[in-house]
Amino acid sequence: MIFLFIGLPLVVAAFMPLIGKISKKFLPDLLANAVFLVLFVLAATSGRQLIAGGPVLQSLSWLGEPVAVQIAVDGFSLLMLMAIALVTLCVGLYSINYMTPYGSKANYYALLLMMVTGMNGLVLVTDLFQVYLFLEVAAIASYALVAYGLEHDELEASFKYLMLSVVASAAVLIGIAILFGMTGSLGFAGVADALRGLDSKLAVGACAALFLMGFGLKAALIPFHAWLPDAHPSAPAPISAMLSGLLIKVSGVYALTRIFFNVFGLAPGAWLSQILMGLGIVSAVIAAFLAIGQKDLKRMLAYSSISQVGYVVLGIGIGTPLGVAGGLFHLFNHALAKSLLFLNSGSVQQATGTRNLDEMGGLAKRMPVTAATSLVGSLSIAGVPPLGGFWSKLIIIMALVQAGHGVLAVAAVLASVVTLWYYLVIQRKAFFGKLDEKWKAVKEAPFWMTAATVILALLVIGTGIFFSAIFKTWIQPASDALAKGF
Amino acid sequence: MNWQIPLLCGVVVFCGLAILAKDLIKAAIGLAVASVLLGILFFTMNAPYAGVFEISVVAGLITVLFMLTIALTKAEGEVRERRWVKIAFPLFFVAFIVIDVLVMKSLLSKVQVVASGAESGSFGDVLWKQRTFDLIGQLAVILAGVFAVLALFRKKDKHD
Amino acid sequence: MIDTWFLYLGFAAGLLFIGLYALLTMRNMIKLFIGFEVVSKGVSLALLGTGFAKNNILLAQSLVITFIVVEVSLVATALAIIVNVTRHTQSLDIRNLTKLKG
Repeated sequence: MIFLFIGLPLVVAAFMPLIGKISKKFLPDLLANAVFLVLFVLAATSGRQLIAGGPVLQSLSWLGEPVAVQIAVDGFSLLMLMAIALVTLCVGLYSINYMTPYGSKANYYALLLMMVTGMNGLVLVTDLFQVYLFLEVAAIASYALVAYGLEHDELEASFKYLMLSVVASAAVLIGIAILFGMTGSLGFAGVADALRGLDSKLAVGACAALFLMGFGLKAALIPFHAWLPDAHPSAPAPISAMLSGLLIKVSGVYALTRIFFNVFGLAPGAWLSQILMGLGIVSAVIAAFLAIGQKDLKRMLAYSSISQVGYVVLGIGIGTPLGVAGGLFHLFNHALAKSLLFLNSGSVQQATGTRNLDEMGGLAKRMPVTAATSLVGSLSIAGVPPLGGFWSKLIIIMALVQAGHGVLAVAAVLASVVTLWYYLVIQRKAFFGKLDEKWKAVKEAPFWMTAATVILALLVIGTGIFFSAIFKTWIQPASDALAKGF
Repeated sequence: MNWQIPLLCGVVVFCGLAILAKDLIKAAIGLAVASVLLGILFFTMNAPYAGVFEISVVAGLITVLFMLTIALTKAEGEVRERRWVKIAFPLFFVAFIVIDVLVMKSLLSKVQVVASGAESGSFGDVLWKQRTFDLIGQLAVILAGVFAVLALFRKKDKHD
Repeated sequence: MIDTWFLYLGFAAGLLFIGLYALLTMRNMIKLFIGFEVVSKGVSLALLGTGFAKNNILLAQSLVITFIVVEVSLVATALAIIVNVTRHTQSLDIRNLTKLKG
C-alpha cells in the first residue's frame, strides 16, 4: 500500500507522453490531478491507522520471492507525505490554467509527477544511498521545470542551480562513502547501531559537515543559498511554489533532520545542535533583511523562504521535543503558506505582466480573491494570530527560552518583526493603495488558479484555528518519531 | 595491486589534461581515456560489472553526448579562459596533494571502523534482491532525465 | 585493509579537487561539465574503493552502477540546458549568464 506513493506517480508519468498524444486538451490535466487527489486521500486516511501501531515497514514480494524493498512510514514521513500531497494537489489544479501558454502540458505533468515520485521516495526510504537517489530524481525533474519556459533568465537560473547542486550531491555521496566505510552498512538502523559502538567523533564530524554542505545547499541555508534567489523567481509560478514549498524542505530539511536524528543522534546542547541553531538563526535574520530591499515580488518571496527555512532549522536544531515539534509545525505551515503566495504571484504576473512591485498598485480592487488569499498567506508566515504561522513561531521561541537560549529567542523575534514588515510592504505595494491607470482592465485570475489558492488559504486558516488538534495528530507523532531514533 | 597505482595516476593525469585542454574535442577525448583507465582499475579491484559500466557508459555514452553538444554549439569564437588558471593549477594541485597525503596519513590510525565480515551471494543476488529499490530509483532517474530532455528540446507551439 | 581505503580516498580526493577547480575557475560551459564529470569519477572511485577495502565489493558495485545511471541523466539534462543557452546567447561563455544577481 505504501508503495503506491512512489509507484503511482511513476507509472502515470511514464504513460503521460502517450496520453498527451491521445488528447492534448484535458486528459493530461485530469489524470495528473486525479493522481494528486489519490495521493492526498491515501496520505490522509491510511497513514493514520498505520502509525497507530508504530513505524510501518513494508517489504514487498515480487514473483513470489520476498524482495528487500524497505520503505517505512513513521510520524515524520507521514507529515511530509501529507504536506507534499496537499501542496502538489493545489499546484496541479493551478497549473491547469497557468501552464497552457507554455505548451506541451503532458510533458509538464510528467515532470511534475516525477518530482512527486522523487520526493515521496525520499521520505519513505530507510537507506542512506536511496535518500540520495530519490533526491536526484526530484532534482533532475526540477532542473527541467525551472527552465521550462526556455527563456534566457530561466535557463540561466536553472544552469546555476544545477551547477551548485552537483557539488552538493558530491558532498553527500562522499559522506555516505565514509559512513559506509566506517560501518559497513547503508541503512539508517545499521549505521546508527554501528556508530553507537564506535568512538569516531572526528569522522562523524567530517560526515556531518559534508551532509550539512550537501543538504544545506538543497535547503538553501546561508551560506549555501546562492542559487535560490535566482531559481525561484525565474521558474514558472507553480514550480516556484513546488520548489519553495516542498523541494527545499523535503530534499534539504527532511534529509538533514532524518540523518542527524536517526543516524547520528542529536542531543540538545551538543555541538551538532549548536551548529544547526547557528545556521538557522543566521539564515532567519540575514535573509529577512535581504528581503527588504527587493523590488521583484518573487525575489522577495524567495528570500523569505530562505529566512523561514532558517526558522525551521533553528527549531529542529534545539533538539528538545518542543523545539523539534515547533520546527516541524513551521515546516508544514510554511509549505502551505509559501506555495499559496507563489501561486498568487503567478496570478499577479499573468494579469499584469510584471513582477516589479513598484509598478503595481491597488490590484485589490480588480483581483479581490487574490488579494485576500495573499493577505492570509502573508500574515501566516509573518506570525500573526490566529493563523498557523503564529503558533509555530511561538512554539519555537518558547522552546528557545526553555532551553536557555534567550539571545537566540530575541533574534528570532526580531527576524519575525522584519518579516511582518516586508510582507506588509508587499501587500501595500501590490494590492492596496491607489489603482494604477495601467491596471484598470485586469481581471481576476482564471477559475482553477483561484480555486487552488482559495483551498490553500482555507488550509492556512484551518491550521491556525485548529492548531491544537493538528498539533496532536500530525506534529506530535512526527516529533516523537525523531526523538525515538530508529 | 601493482597495476593500481599507475592506473590511479593515469586517471588523475588525464582528468587534469581534460580540464586544461584548450580544444573541447581534445578535452572530451582526455576524459574518455581517463574513464577507460578507471574502468580497467575497477577490473583490478574485482569489480568487473562496475568496470564494464564505467567504460561503456561513461567513456562511451557520455563522450558521445559531449561530442553531440560540441557539434550543436559550434559557437562563434572561442571562450578564452583566464590565463592564470592554467599556470596556477599545477601549483594548487601540488599543494593539495601534499595536504591530502598528510591528512590521510594522520587519519590512518584515528578512524575506527567496524570489522568487515564476509560477503555472500553473487552480484546478481545483491543487485536484484538486496538493492531492488535502487532499480526502481534508477528507472525513476532515467524517466526524469528523458522527460527533462524532451521538455527542454520541445518545439514551441505557434501561439507563444 | 585500512591502508588501501586511504589510498583510494586520497586519489578520489585528488580527482575531486581537479573537478572542483574546474567548476570554480572555468568559463566555458562545456568545461564546467567536464569538471562535473571528473567530480563524478572521484565519487565513483571513493565508493568503490570503500567497498573494496571493506570486503563489500558487490554492494559497492551496485552503488556505483546506480550512480553512473544518475550521472547520465544529469549530463543529458545539463547538456540540454547548455544547448538551449547557446541558442539565446550564441556563446559558451558563462560570463553571458550574469543577468541575475543571486
